[in-house]
Amino acid sequence: MELEELQSAWSQMSNELEHQKKLTNEIILNMTKEKYRNKFKTVTAYETLGACVCFCIAMLFLVKFGELDTWYLQLCGILSLSYLIILPILILKALRKIKTLNILKGTYKDNLSHFIKAKNRLLQLQQIGMGVGFLGLFFILPVFSKISSNKNIFQVGLKTEQLVLLSITLIVTAVFCIWAYKGYLRLTKSAQELLKDME
Amino acid sequence: MPKEALFTDLIREHQGLLFKVTSIYTDNKQDQEDLFQEVVYQLWKYFDSFRNESKISTWMYRVGMNTAITHLKRKRRRPDSISIADTVIKETDITKDEIYEERLRLLYRQLKQLNTLDMGLIFLLLEGKRYKEIAEITGLEASNVGTRISRIKKKLKTNMNKL
Repeated sequence: MELEELQSAWSQMSNELEHQKKLTNEIILNMTKEKYRNKFKTVTAYETLGACVCFCIAMLFLVKFGELDTWYLQLCGILSLSYLIILPILILKALRKIKTLNILKGTYKDNLSHFIKAKNRLLQLQQIGMGVGFLGLFFILPVFSKISSNKNIFQVGLKTEQLVLLSITLIVTAVFCIWAYKGYLRLTKSAQELLKDME
Repeated sequence: MPKEALFTDLIREHQGLLFKVTSIYTDNKQDQEDLFQEVVYQLWKYFDSFRNESKISTWMYRVGMNTAITHLKRKRRRPDSISIADTVIKETDITKDEIYEERLRLLYRQLKQLNTLDMGLIFLLLEGKRYKEIAEITGLEASNVGTRISRIKKKLKTNMNKL
């Protein structure tokens, strides 16, 4: 078989493709937007899952709130509920703001400035979340202990094995937070690069 | 005309070109569609920087091929090209032309055996581009393009004679 014969197959294919106009304006514009949004797909999935877990625990705390029989346990309960409900909502909202940024509208400069604003807000929330998360252990734990085994740890204290378990949890939480935060930094940086390329 | 409308018109007009660029650098339909999307996105990013110094199609070939090569580096290349040839046959919808189908399968098989640069050069030659325009798209010297293409042609001929 000669090269010319292959060329004729290529020409035949080209002619056929020339007559096809399968793409619509909408599909084309969506392709462009989609590429940007995909960057946040995985992190949104994880955050949504995390938020669901928080909401379930909050629901449990809410149902059993009546079992918190002292003012300090009730205060811990309120703080726990606020942490478990408000922070995930704020994070999901910030993430949504970044994802829905319309990169097809406005100038590059506007897009970049909006993105940086939204990115800083998201990172700020992550930092707050981590900080409060550590404190959170100290007010979620008494509530959890009271609800699950009817023990007021402010009165009975913690046994050695419980203290060890708490320390391990703190270390694991710290490592996880640092890893997750680094992931966020990488993700937002790469999305910012996408926008910078538009210059 | 607004920028978005200009862009979508351009993509619609040249979707055949984009399909061909993306099909030679991928191995299956899914990968081809991903690359197509990536090329459209890259064209949008650089749309403002197009200065009318060259033909719009030349610019599109350049962006498309650069994006495809980057995409190829990220993916592990598989030598089997049957799947993508079948996708192209399906896409072009030329039914019951067995000679065409056989030639196209063979062509893709031959193309996939070449290295990235040689594959791009032969692709542009198949597209009917002259050496000068191929040089403009690939950034090579026109004389270098000629030398390389005749070498690739010989290689392809030898490979096909073996069949």
